[in-house]
Parts: sequence; structure tokens; C-alpha cells
Amino acid sequence: MARSRSTNPPVDLLGPVQGEVSWFCCGTAWGPCSSTGRGACGTCNSGSLQHAWPNTSDACWAITRPDSCGVSLSRRTCGFQHRTTALCTGVSVVTTIADCGPQTDLFCGERSCCGATCASNRLIDLTPAAYSRIASLSTGLRPCSISVP
Amino acid sequence: MYGIAALQPYVIGLFLLWAGLVKLLGRRMRAQAGRTALARLVGPARAVTALRLAGVLELAVAAALLLPPALPVEGVAATGLSMGFLAYLTYARRAAPASSCGCLGAHSRPVSTRGFARAGVLLAASVAAIWAGPHPPAPALALAGLAEIAVLLGLSPELDRHWLMPLRRLLVRLRRPLAVTPEQAREIPLEVSLRLLYLSSAYCSTSARLRSDVQEAWDEDGVRFVVYAAHGGTAVFAVPLAGGDPSAVRVALIDEPALT
Amino acid sequence: MTSRRQLLKSAVLGGGAGVVAATALGSLGPEAAFGAAPPQVAPGTPDPGFAEGRIRSIKDNTLLVLGSNWVFHTIRVVDGTSLWKLGPVAFDHVKPGDGLYARGVRMPDGVLAAESVWLNIVNVKGHIKNITDDRLHLDHDDKEILCHRVAGTSVAVYSDAPPSADLSRLRVGQHVQVLGAWRPDTNEVDIATVFSPH
Repeated sequence: MARSRSTNPPVDLLGPVQGEVSWFCCGTAWGPCSSTGRGACGTCNSGSLQHAWPNTSDACWAITRPDSCGVSLSRRTCGFQHRTTALCTGVSVVTTIADCGPQTDLFCGERSCCGATCASNRLIDLTPAAYSRIASLSTGLRPCSISVP
Repeated sequence: MYGIAALQPYVIGLFLLWAGLVKLLGRRMRAQAGRTALARLVGPARAVTALRLAGVLELAVAAALLLPPALPVEGVAATGLSMGFLAYLTYARRAAPASSCGCLGAHSRPVSTRGFARAGVLLAASVAAIWAGPHPPAPALALAGLAEIAVLLGLSPELDRHWLMPLRRLLVRLRRPLAVTPEQAREIPLEVSLRLLYLSSAYCSTSARLRSDVQEAWDEDGVRFVVYAAHGGTAVFAVPLAGGDPSAVRVALIDEPALT
Repeated sequence: MTSRRQLLKSAVLGGGAGVVAATALGSLGPEAAFGAAPPQVAPGTPDPGFAEGRIRSIKDNTLLVLGSNWVFHTIRVVDGTSLWKLGPVAFDHVKPGDGLYARGVRMPDGVLAAESVWLNIVNVKGHIKNITDDRLHLDHDDKEILCHRVAGTSVAVYSDAPPSADLSRLRVGQHVQVLGAWRPDTNEVDIATVFSPH
């Protein structure tokens, strides 16, 4: 597990940042999602084009701590738009922040590859609707590039 | 029976001493105070103060219980504290179910059944302590006291990482519940082939055209064939079952509806 | 072997390539791939090309699904639709009561012509509280989910290492992500993939 202090400024201000993307359910749906609720922003739905971001508030940052993995990300609040592009397919989706996550510091140093292109650390979680636009849900975790549209 | 009653002030006293010290001296406790149910009750700004006051109260009752003489009023005070504790847990469970208790450690886990059981044991012990009086020490009583303390510690989720997790790890190491049998080792799950596929240039060059997840897969002559719907037709990949070389993966895009 | 499989096999082994030449098949960029591109959907809003919910009934090749916000979806499974239930499955594996996510094309009559259907798929993260028999006891949001290893199917992905059917490197106390198939009306999941950071 690679842990190091982050560098300033937040890397997503300098340009697209590469990392891993996974998916999560929200909105009181079926299965283990039945008690999940509508996320930190109160608007999250599995069928909407939304995502979770690790730095939506101080309380969120205290849980996700991407800086523990050497990644500094800017503060973005509910409704902010990000573009997530699957590496090596080039397919992308634009979503809005609806929740806090993923728990980056619990997966520090984890790497995913598509072709010869790899990326480390979980930086964004998409709803099933959004993730299925850029990859099959059964893949679970993919390398991606995150940018501001 | 009087022996058991005589034991209780010491058991409860030690427990309250621990709880009080954690609240007053624990740095992580102060950092986590805002996330406890107490913060919900008194407001986040007063959570730390409220925790400290609770700690002082616990230490005061602990001192009374541990120091002679043994008076019935000490048991009454402990009973009052335990009932307050149970009431607080009930409030926490109802009003702030995702919040932690903040009772005996800085963990952020919500109030659980074990927490209620522990509070119940403390209440019963406190009631028994009302009848506590001088009693000659006896080995059997000491053992009973240790057993009671062990029960209280066992019901404390804050301590799981010190004994329960290591115990479980040891049992897993001994029993090896997820060990793969030789027969199982011969099967190659589909996901192994798919992860190899994702590393291949064949996949990279065609994945943007894929319109579905895996439609079907079958093995033949050491090759696993994996089929997807693709824009305008069907994509079929040939993934070798042996070796792990992504460059050996081949693909064909069949530009017509697939036969069924 | 069916004639379809023979056709596919001979296509990939006879004329297949390691990389599909762009000149042979036109541009391979996503713009060309989605020539019938999915309609633009405003970020943050429900995606009409997606449906989620539980199957209420099945009639012929049509699924009636009740979504989490009390919206009904009619989903049509066609020849090209992929069906996932811990892996690719045939239509007879689809049962009332199954949860699903589906992606496809919304037709003018409101029916979703499905390209992909994932039945009971879940992607949960949590701490491994215990490992007994063939099960991981996962603490997911302070609730226990029993995750069953399925011989011949379940794999563990340890970061970017090749996946392995050997799950024994997983440790009590570590954090993992479990992608699997929920057993309806239980707190149990069959494991497709366990993602471990190390």
C-alpha cells in the first residue's frame, strides 16, 4: 500500500487526473442498496447521471483522505460537473456530484489497467446509470481520466 | 450471594474508571465527539464539554465504589448512572442511528445490540452493588469477578481489534476456509479470461464499438471465445486459456446480425 | 456446436486480428462506434436509456420492472441483449423478484430495448469481519453481508495482478470491494470478483 503526503496544489486544477472509477448504488433501491438513502447531497439516484467525489466538504475529506495516497483534489460541492473518460476506450460521461466518496485511503496504491494504460487510486464513484455508459457494470472497477467538461 | 454483591463495586468501579479516563484523556475521542449521538443531543459545539462532564461523573462514581466504605448509596448512584446510560443508548438508536455512542472509545460504529447488552449487565451489577458489604476474599469470588469483567470486555466493540480480530485471523490461518482444492484449481473462471482480455490491444481497439456485456462464452481447443454485441453486428474474441499473454488475444468484428 | 458458434470461431481464428485495422472497418473512435449515439442527457438527471428496479412479472420476452421511485419500466429482451447473473446466462435464468439494472435504447412507445441486463448485480465495499467455510462476512455500512465463494466463478483481483480463483490471500480486517449477485430477499451475495488493494 503506497502512502505519501499529497503535493499542492490539487492535481485536478492542473488538468485531467487519472485514477480508478467504480460504481455504487443510492436512492433506497433493491438489495443491499435498500437502506442506502440519497447520498450526502440528498439527491442521489442509481438511475441518474451522478457521481460521488472525495472532497465535497471537510467532513467528507476526513473520511476519504485521498491525500493519504498522495493525491490532492480540489473542493467541489453538490451539483458540480465532472467528465469521466474510460481509459483506452475513450468513451466518457458527464455527471454531477451527488454524494461523498469513494473511500480513497482504504485502497491506496491499487491499480487498474486497460490495455497498456494503467491508473492508480480510486478517485470517483459513478451511479450505475453513469458507469454503464462507459463500461459494463460487471467490470466493477476501471481506470479512467477525470476532467471538468 | 453477598459475595457476588460485594464484588460488584469493584467490577463497576474499574469499568467506570476506564470509561471516564477515555472520555477525559482520549485525543481521538475529542476529535470524534462531533459524530456521536451526544452531539445530536446537546449540539456539536457542546459535545466535547458534555463528554468531559460525563467522564467526570463516571470517575466520581468509580472513586466512591472503589474506595471504602461500601455504602448502599454508591450502588444507587451507579444504578442511576447505568439507567441514564441505557436511556442514552436508546435515544442514540432512535434519533441518530448512524452515530456512534462515544461511550468507551473513539470508534465510529453505531450503537449495537452488544452495547445494549453491556449496559444491561452494568445495570444488573449496579443494582446488586446496593447490597454490597464487607466480605472475606475468596478465590471463587475472584474468578467470578474476572469472568464478569471478561463478559463486559467481550461486549465492548471498542476492544474487538485487540482480541476478536486476532482470534479470527488465527482461526482462518488454521482452518484455511478459502483454500482451493486441486480440482477447483483446474477450472479457469470466465473473469480470469476477461481480465486478460481487457489488457489486450484487441480489446482496446474494439471496446468503443461494443454495445453489450458478454452475450456468451465457450471453451474449445484451449481457447475461450467471448462474444459481445457490437455496433452493426457482433464482436468475438479468442482468449487463450493457458499463458497470460494479452498479445495472443484475437478479435473479429462480424458486420451482420449474429445467427441464433 | 451450433452453426453460430462455428461462424464466430472461424471468423476470429480464420480472419481475426490482434488489432482491428481502422482502415478495414472505418474509424474506431467512440463517435463512430455510437453512430446511433445515445441521446444527450443532462448531467444529474435520470438517464432514459437506463432502468433499475425489481422484476414484477415476465411475459414472453418482456420484463415489467418496478423502480425504486415507484416508476414502472417495460424492458424488452432481444436477440442481441446480454444477460448477466453472476456471468452470462440465458433468458430462462431471469426470475420475478430479481433486481436489475438495464441499459439500452428507449423506444418511442416508452419500452426500453435492452442491450445489457445485469440481474441482482451489486458492488459493495466493506471490511471483512470474518471468514468461515466458503464465506466472507462483510461489514458494509455497519450491516453484515454474507459473501459466498462460488467454485469455478469467483475470483480475487489483487490490485493489478492477474486475477486468481484463490481467495485465501484475503485477510480478516481488510477492506475489499465485492462485485457479485445478490440472493433476493436475503443479506447474501454470490461473489463474482473481490477487489483487494494488495
